[in-house]
Amino acid sequence: MLRIRLHGRGGQGIKTASQILGTAAHLAGYQAQDFPLYGAERRGAPIAAYARFSKNIVLERGPIAQPDIVLIGDETLLSDPMAAVTQGTDASTLIFINSRHTSHDLKQHYQLESLPVQLDISELCQKYIQKPMILSTALAAVGARLMGRIDLHHLLQAIREELGQGRLGPEKIAANLKLAEEVFQKAPSFDLEFSESDAGFSASRLVTLERRPPVDSAPLIFATGNMALRKTGNWRTHRPVINYEECNGCAICYARCPEGDIRMDTNDKPVIDYDHCKGCLICATECPKHAIEILREVESWN
Amino acid sequence: MKATISDSLEESKYKKVTDLNPEEEIAPGSALCAGCGGLEGMRLAMKVLGENTLTCNAAGCFTLISVYPFTPLKGSWLYTTMSGPVPAAQGVRDALDIRMQKHGLPKAEDLQVIVVAGDGSTNDMGLSPTSAAIHRNLDFIYFCYDNEAYGNTGFQHSGASPLGSYTMTSPNTPEHPAGSEQTKKDLFGIWMAHNPPYLATVSPREPIDLSNKFKKAKGMKGPRLFICLSPCPTGWGFDPKDTHLIAKLAVDTGIFPIKEFVDGKVIHTKRPRKRLPVEKYLERQKRFQHLFAPKRRDDIIAQIQSNVDAYWEQYDE
Amino acid sequence: MELTRNKQIMLTGNKAAAWGARLAGVDYVPAFPITPQTEIVETLAQWFADGHMHGKYTNMDSEHSMFMAAGAAAASGVRVFTASSSQGILYGLEALHTIAGWRVPLVLVNVSRALATPITLEPDHNDVLSLRDTGIIQLHAETAQEVLDYILMAYRIAEDPEVCLPVLVNLDGFYLSFTREPVVLPDEAEVREFLPLFKPSQPVFQASEPMARASAVFGGGNYSYFKIQHHLAAQNVVNVYQKITQEFGERFGRFYDAVERYRLDDAEYVFVMSNSFATKGKAAVQHLRKNGIKAGLLKLSLLRPFPSQIIADALAHRPKVAVIDQNLAPGMGGILYPEILKAVYRREDRPQHLLSVIGGLGGRDIQEGDFISILQRLDEAPGDDPLFLFDEKDLKQFDQLRQIAGFPREARIP
Repeated sequence: MLRIRLHGRGGQGIKTASQILGTAAHLAGYQAQDFPLYGAERRGAPIAAYARFSKNIVLERGPIAQPDIVLIGDETLLSDPMAAVTQGTDASTLIFINSRHTSHDLKQHYQLESLPVQLDISELCQKYIQKPMILSTALAAVGARLMGRIDLHHLLQAIREELGQGRLGPEKIAANLKLAEEVFQKAPSFDLEFSESDAGFSASRLVTLERRPPVDSAPLIFATGNMALRKTGNWRTHRPVINYEECNGCAICYARCPEGDIRMDTNDKPVIDYDHCKGCLICATECPKHAIEILREVESWN
Repeated sequence: MKATISDSLEESKYKKVTDLNPEEEIAPGSALCAGCGGLEGMRLAMKVLGENTLTCNAAGCFTLISVYPFTPLKGSWLYTTMSGPVPAAQGVRDALDIRMQKHGLPKAEDLQVIVVAGDGSTNDMGLSPTSAAIHRNLDFIYFCYDNEAYGNTGFQHSGASPLGSYTMTSPNTPEHPAGSEQTKKDLFGIWMAHNPPYLATVSPREPIDLSNKFKKAKGMKGPRLFICLSPCPTGWGFDPKDTHLIAKLAVDTGIFPIKEFVDGKVIHTKRPRKRLPVEKYLERQKRFQHLFAPKRRDDIIAQIQSNVDAYWEQYDE
Repeated sequence: MELTRNKQIMLTGNKAAAWGARLAGVDYVPAFPITPQTEIVETLAQWFADGHMHGKYTNMDSEHSMFMAAGAAAASGVRVFTASSSQGILYGLEALHTIAGWRVPLVLVNVSRALATPITLEPDHNDVLSLRDTGIIQLHAETAQEVLDYILMAYRIAEDPEVCLPVLVNLDGFYLSFTREPVVLPDEAEVREFLPLFKPSQPVFQASEPMARASAVFGGGNYSYFKIQHHLAAQNVVNVYQKITQEFGERFGRFYDAVERYRLDDAEYVFVMSNSFATKGKAAVQHLRKNGIKAGLLKLSLLRPFPSQIIADALAHRPKVAVIDQNLAPGMGGILYPEILKAVYRREDRPQHLLSVIGGLGGRDIQEGDFISILQRLDEAPGDDPLFLFDEKDLKQFDQLRQIAGFPREARIP
């Protein structure tokens, strides 16, 4: 069994990437399984997808706790403990990160156990499909290559099959195929062992629930307004930054922010709550003075 | 000189965005999509309605506003079912009235009961219970966030999906080039036929208009109904930063009339002076892209335009 | 009508239900008509209008809406009553699952009527048993007196601080709903001592107590917690019920148990029945006893929670037991039969013969002769296949109808 976990955000094509991988492995003669994990989260929120490959029938279902390969499409997720992108990994896990930074810098900055594989696939996506964060094809190509068991022609056929089902025209599919070829050439290859392991056949520690009072037995929330404990700042790929020299305090950004993440301070200037700002960039678009700049989040630690 | 009542009403009106209640009644952190137009509409509405509220929610995108153990609201929240929020509002309203009349509950404990439901619930299975509640003169505020499809399940066709729109269950094909072949239900007209005390459409792009309408409604009794245009980056296919631009185009093209119904009359509170062609609105959204490429569908675009023109002709000055 | 102390008057089952709600001091009735329940809500509408009841009666637009309003009102601190039947219960099924999970106290009456298709009027229990997995407590009544008494006790159960669940009282359409019989109307002041006016034991919606109720819960583990708690609360009602029936008995002189053991002690043959047809079973037991056959009857009253232990005890050492299901799960058989099997399975003293009988569907009468047929089958070694109470007369009558309906079709084609 080879277990792959893919991480990205809603809207980045992470599920499609897992499907391309699944189909490619199936075409290459493996038993395969792929699936996304749908939570309550929406576009922009961290999501994960999974794929399993085996020479024999796959007798596992559900999320992968101990992946052999982790493909991280969106580097910003590494700073988000809730996204848990490195959960269940150890020094033997192959971790890929879509980044401009070097492997050594990434290992050091994110305190990874081993050297990750790095490639700026966003740059290649920009080059071929003009969308740096639509990662379905590129991330699948990385995965296929890392495994070392999928030929390019199986990968390309899988891309044709999977993208052909959507609303993509032939030119766009052709662009994706070129993108896949270049990523496939640039990414390193490993000959990973298929582990037929079976971690943990010990009994689960079941508990006997005691009956609790009704108030403690129905979904009731008394801590009203506590939603702010959830930090959605990690959804952001880009950060709006107010240039206070230009800002005239008109409060349009405050009025337009759907999340209520901008408040007017005592000097009538807007202040952005970066703990929660999801990075929709409405404020930057709507600012009549063009006084809000847009910065890419991952560039911030350079 | 004595100030008249209408003068004081006029004075208390919202005139600029800095007049808005600076308190946020909905805390951030929810799982709704970045750039959600409906959330912006509800945020502005709740700024007016304040915290002594109970929000009855129908199954839909806004179910995600409160996910255990979190709620963003300072007031109360009750998740119901897809067709159940209005009857639930009836139960709460009746119970509070009974407790105040029969059991001496102080007036200060009263709640403004609000229903929050998407266009799917509102136009489809929730319509009959709502009709009955308006008929019973239920004292409540209805906030319909209209993103013109079943958004929470991934954007399927609803009674509010407009002509020519692609949804997951009204795909455009050579046999069905329009995508949705039905026109959007006239929910405003359906509700208006019930003669409620107050009925309005609002847009998140028009916070002053929206706030004044909610303020007016807050001072009234009985069913007060709102349809909030809710541009949906995820389902409509545009960049989240453009939510307000899309909302503005919906109004400027005349596709989404901003109006209210009060005292038996319809008044357009944000009437476009010269309407832009509908394609200015359509061409910016992926759900209408099949009307422009690979082949331009002038017939369908013209039909959409003529529907809009026919609407406004009724109100020619 | 003025209330006098413990007066016995003639009441239909429906009127007894309405009196139960009135004596309970109900604040709120959201209602919707359906035969054979309508008399209950009509009576209550009149009493609210006349000022005999105080609070509010609201005409709703469907059973789904009615149950949502009922649950929301219960979550907002008033004593709620509502009633439905058959198709209406099914129309509101989503709402019933929903409000049961809210963990709010209220009482609803179901007047049993068989389900479409074919649409019909007379009773069987497929309607009420479709609620068996909602986590709503169920009490099934045989007599109009039980209907009234159960409603009073139902409020005590529903509002018990350890329970907080809707409680349903079931009565058969026509056979009980429209049948008048003497009922003791308890004195209102005494009822009030047994059941004081409603004071919520749980937080309810009001401005000083903001809360979110019934928010989405994600994650199977989290979901499991709430479901298991619901189960534990429902299970605990077996104990709560015994405490409350004891108190009721001491106060009013009518004692109830989760089951009624009718001449069971030395019984060789036992009929397991519920609701109004249990009366017919009791008559058959008397008749059989006169003829030297040791028959008895176990009447199921508390259906949810299912009092397995009490049932197994009652059936211990009874050699031949017939479970008469007045319902049918096509492709499975009777609904209560496997539940009874489950109750006795682990017991060494379980009955030797356990027979599944399906009868009384759509109000089809169960007659003396049917009980004799059941005895005969019990003497054989019955298998799992149910015995259907459908006789030659039924078949003959039906064949006449189908001829009028145009069958056989070949005869009509020239």
